[in-house]
Amino acid sequence: MNPIDDDTLQAYVDGELEPASAALVDAALAHDEMLARRVQQAQALRTQLKAAFDPVLDEPVPEHLSALLQPPSPQAATPAAPVAMARHRRGFGAGRRRAPRRWAMPAAAVAASLAVLAVALWWQPGNDLVRVQNGQQFAAGALSKALNQSLASEPDPRATVTIGLTFRSADGRICRTFVEHAKPAMAGLACHHRAGWSLPVIRAAEQPAGGELRQAASDMPRDVQAAVDARIRGEAFNAQQERAARAAGWR
Amino acid sequence: MDPSQAVREGLIPLLPRLRRLARALAGQIADADDLVQIVLERALNRAAQWRPDAPLDKWVFAIARNAWRDEMRARGRSQNLFVPEEAGVTAADGSSAPAQKLELAAAVAALPPDHREVVALVLIEGLSYNEAADLLQVPVGTITSRLARARTTLQAHLGKDT
Repeated sequence: MNPIDDDTLQAYVDGELEPASAALVDAALAHDEMLARRVQQAQALRTQLKAAFDPVLDEPVPEHLSALLQPPSPQAATPAAPVAMARHRRGFGAGRRRAPRRWAMPAAAVAASLAVLAVALWWQPGNDLVRVQNGQQFAAGALSKALNQSLASEPDPRATVTIGLTFRSADGRICRTFVEHAKPAMAGLACHHRAGWSLPVIRAAEQPAGGELRQAASDMPRDVQAAVDARIRGEAFNAQQERAARAAGWR
Repeated sequence: MDPSQAVREGLIPLLPRLRRLARALAGQIADADDLVQIVLERALNRAAQWRPDAPLDKWVFAIARNAWRDEMRARGRSQNLFVPEEAGVTAADGSSAPAQKLELAAAVAALPPDHREVVALVLIEGLSYNEAADLLQVPVGTITSRLARARTTLQAHLGKDT
């Protein structure tokens, strides 16, 4: 019988041989210990490669990536192009350069309007209310605290953050709209993750005339409302559901 | 259904595999997700070029491979703009991953690009030799010889631990 060459052995390990050829290798393996050991090593390498990379399959997909595959909303469609181009030009290696990544991130988080970019440039992550983790924006400080604790049904007139709607999104997360009243006022949408409240949308909010506290939901910029409409499954929570969600840790 | 909608909806279930491929190609987590973003943007822009009878996964993997090659070239020209490799988090998983997984991922990241893409497509993604040859537009013999040399390199790496 012909000796088994390296190519054949590799094809055997990779499942590329015709059954008849594979049977020949099987037969050879039975009485050739060296050969059997080489097959075993090659199989172990395959197994270890799978073990090293397959956990990626179970990681949650970052929201800024899945957001790219959402149906385009009327507001987002046109202005998204320049953002994408700017991003593209940076290249994927640029992610480690801190400053550009921080500036680009809000744009990546949603199919964004240029308004977001303007907001992002001016309301830098790194101030007290936003932190960036793995390229995603998360609520921090007073914003995070309000999202965790405040109930729309029990508004606190002294609070700087007002919660609007709370609802469950189509991907099963609890999301809440908010308005942050400190000047400049911001409004946005936050969705709960293990890592905290991600902020798929943040916008400049118009201050109500005379400074009175209005219903947060009616303050929502149109694109925050559009982001809610794109995500919401069923109805927004009522006061009892909101309280229960808080008790359950927003899961 | 128009092509862009078909591509967009078809890509959603492929995202985890696309991220795995990107991780194997690009190495660093941040780079890999940046690559995925570029790939998604390209795929959506070129949705009209996808023939519905062609498998979407192979089509988008080819886009990923080409985007990665483009970025490697761009990076080669501007190498000095980037911080050294060790500054990022390496491919397969954070601090809790067993050391060997990290080391193997690092060994994959250290392979020459020709070898790395074959390892990523055949050994990690599970494509057949023919599918990989088709995607990379090289003869099957080139796939098997690159794979054999990559295996020797990776095996030598594992041999250090066992």
